Amino acid sequence: MLINYIKIAWKVLLRHPFYTFITLFGISLTLTVLMVLTSFLDHLIGSHYPETKRDRSLYIMQMLQTDSSRSSRSMGPMSFKFLTDYAKSLKTPERVTLCTFINSSNAYVGSQKIKLNTKFTDADFWQVTDFEFLEGKPYNEQNIANSDYVAVITDDFKNHYFGNTTESVIGKDVEIENIHYKVIGVVKGSPVTRPFTYADVYFPYTTPKSNYQRSGFRGGYVAILLAKNKSDLKAIQDEFQNHINRIPLPGNQDGFKYSVLEVKSDPYLENFIGTLLDGGPGLRTIFFGVIGFIMFMLMGLPAINLVNINVSRIMERASEIGIRKAFGAPVKALVWQFIVENIFITFIGGAIALVLTFIIIQLINNSGWIAYADLTININVFIISILVCLIFGLLSGVLPALRMSKLNIAEALKA
Amino acid sequence: MIRHLFKLIWNKKKTHALLMIEIWASFMVLFGLASLIVYNVGNYTQPLGFEYKNVWAISLKSNQDTTDVEQKIQRALQQLKTYADVESATRMSSNFPFSANSMNNGVEYNKKKIMADFYVTDDNFAKTLDIPMATGKWYRNADSIGKYTPVIINQKAKEGLFGDENPMGKIIGERFKVVGTVNTFKAKGEFMADKPAIFELLNAKSPWNDLLLIRVKPGTDAVFEAKIVKNITSMLTGWSVEVDHLADSRKNQHNLTLVPVIIFLIVCSFLLINVALGLFGVLNLSIAKRRSEIGLRRALGATEKGISTQFIGEIWVLATFGMLVGLLFAAQFPLLNVFDLHANVYITAIVVSIIVIYLIVTLCALFPSRQAATIQPAVALHEE
Repeated sequence: MLINYIKIAWKVLLRHPFYTFITLFGISLTLTVLMVLTSFLDHLIGSHYPETKRDRSLYIMQMLQTDSSRSSRSMGPMSFKFLTDYAKSLKTPERVTLCTFINSSNAYVGSQKIKLNTKFTDADFWQVTDFEFLEGKPYNEQNIANSDYVAVITDDFKNHYFGNTTESVIGKDVEIENIHYKVIGVVKGSPVTRPFTYADVYFPYTTPKSNYQRSGFRGGYVAILLAKNKSDLKAIQDEFQNHINRIPLPGNQDGFKYSVLEVKSDPYLENFIGTLLDGGPGLRTIFFGVIGFIMFMLMGLPAINLVNINVSRIMERASEIGIRKAFGAPVKALVWQFIVENIFITFIGGAIALVLTFIIIQLINNSGWIAYADLTININVFIISILVCLIFGLLSGVLPALRMSKLNIAEALKA
Repeated sequence: MIRHLFKLIWNKKKTHALLMIEIWASFMVLFGLASLIVYNVGNYTQPLGFEYKNVWAISLKSNQDTTDVEQKIQRALQQLKTYADVESATRMSSNFPFSANSMNNGVEYNKKKIMADFYVTDDNFAKTLDIPMATGKWYRNADSIGKYTPVIINQKAKEGLFGDENPMGKIIGERFKVVGTVNTFKAKGEFMADKPAIFELLNAKSPWNDLLLIRVKPGTDAVFEAKIVKNITSMLTGWSVEVDHLADSRKNQHNLTLVPVIIFLIVCSFLLINVALGLFGVLNLSIAKRRSEIGLRRALGATEKGISTQFIGEIWVLATFGMLVGLLFAAQFPLLNVFDLHANVYITAIVVSIIVIYLIVTLCALFPSRQAATIQPAVALHEE
């Protein structure tokens, strides 16, 4: 029976190539837009190189200090000392790494200038993240204790600084702001969309200009807490919050008196949204309102379009329906047939969308638009798009089918 | 004729409901896009107010060094001025043009209050960025007399605080004395809205404001840049130095505006193509269904032109219904001053969207109605 329905659907598709084109255009492009968007979101918040352990990591990014009347506030990353005292000392996590957020600098080779981003990290950074070392190795506790002037660089920076060479650059010298560092490792870089790990050059925090000696609570450092397994996340958050609650309030920093101090350890997604939604509940409603509206437009408009076309086209097939009804087909069977037909066409559209998405993703990855972009069609994205396909099939199938099923036999046969 | 068309559409409002919803939704999407574009184009036409080419921003960071910071910054500035390639050098707060930083504060004059962007600069600022003065003169270090700090305000700040009054010599915000005005100053690039800006004379003895701007001779390259970075870092041990070319920073600022607009534009045009194709298909079918009606009208002497005008008229009426609903929503934006934009932006956007929608529906109806007009009455009536 199903095969029969699909055969009919196929014949109907071929009968009017123009309408088939309109329908498929709507379905496949809508799905492509949705899939590219989801794959981009997955790129932003999923666990990918080099943060492959993101699902069992907590991120500490900002400290918020507010005065008692809440009229002024100060917000930003923390000092190395603060994080050592309150985050590094946690017992529950497997490992804790402290590193700076992105700092920018310049390097000069001959008459060429290289804009670069630097990061000061501790030795644990290389254990918490999963960087792929193309050459050499990371710096360890020993290098840090000795205050060695060593650096780990990315392959991209290597190509710019040393020219496109296949030779090893381990032990060679890079000069940044008049200081010479010895290259100790070369890693495959992290995309700019992952600010906790993205940089061109990584230094141990004991090299000059890292400001790790700064006292006070605020500075340039953030932390990643790696749990032994996912179930520990809650315990780690609680332990960290306990540490924070022990800080005496109100406090005073550089003349700014604060009575509220907030530091959160959040999974990446919350941390990511948290910075976007800092403006309180009002902004949050607007944000989700806008997202909802865009999604509605993105999916609703093509859906209305499909319903529209289906409603008009179904009258074309009135005689076929009339005959089937006259021979005793129940309404249910007819509705079912049309739903199957619509799901069939949405799946064809879905297949086209998959191919289109694949092409677009390849284009984005290869364009250098985001360095080291690694957008992928993964299983999650695919399942979501299949679900969307089904919703589309039902949306554009049920309404016309219902309308058609109410058709009078005599009227249907006459048309 | 028009009343007749309205009646025709109204009688079949159920069958047309979906089409109207579609037109309403397209109108809303278009309205959003048009507002965004009108707003940005409007900003773009305002002059930038300064010259950014060949200007470099040098950010100094003292890191762990806390002794005599202000003197060291001044020394670096003096050092820069000695190079032959440097035409002019100035020191300012970290919110240099096209940077990601901004500073704003409320100022008051005669109970009129505005939020203005503050730039702390020294006497060479206008020369380095080539800012033309509207009235008065750029302040000099000697102007800092008594308890008042000299400030320069831009046109927008003048309008906000003084209206038609002459601002020269007036005291604003209790400690600033206006000594001159400039026209516009859009520090975040061409797409930034023209906002009130206030330039305040920098106190050379303060340890903050560690950003230096230099204008170099055209054609100066990275070799010279490397040289000044090397000189400054060897002069100020432990300090960090970063050089940004304003032309590059401007590109970043532009991308922040342009990338969302371009993504929105792509998604919108995809939606509109979708809607147009759908409309075209539906009209094609519905006109095919009304062959007998058309045949009858032709037989009774209607001209080809009359037939096609009727169909285009019908779709216009439909579009009008859809857009009237859309207008109810869109009109809220200028009325409630959403996002603090000028009402003109929304009104222009509404007009643009209305024109585009009429254009789209006309294009979609043109071919099917032409087809309908050429129906031979004999053939159509015979089928019946």
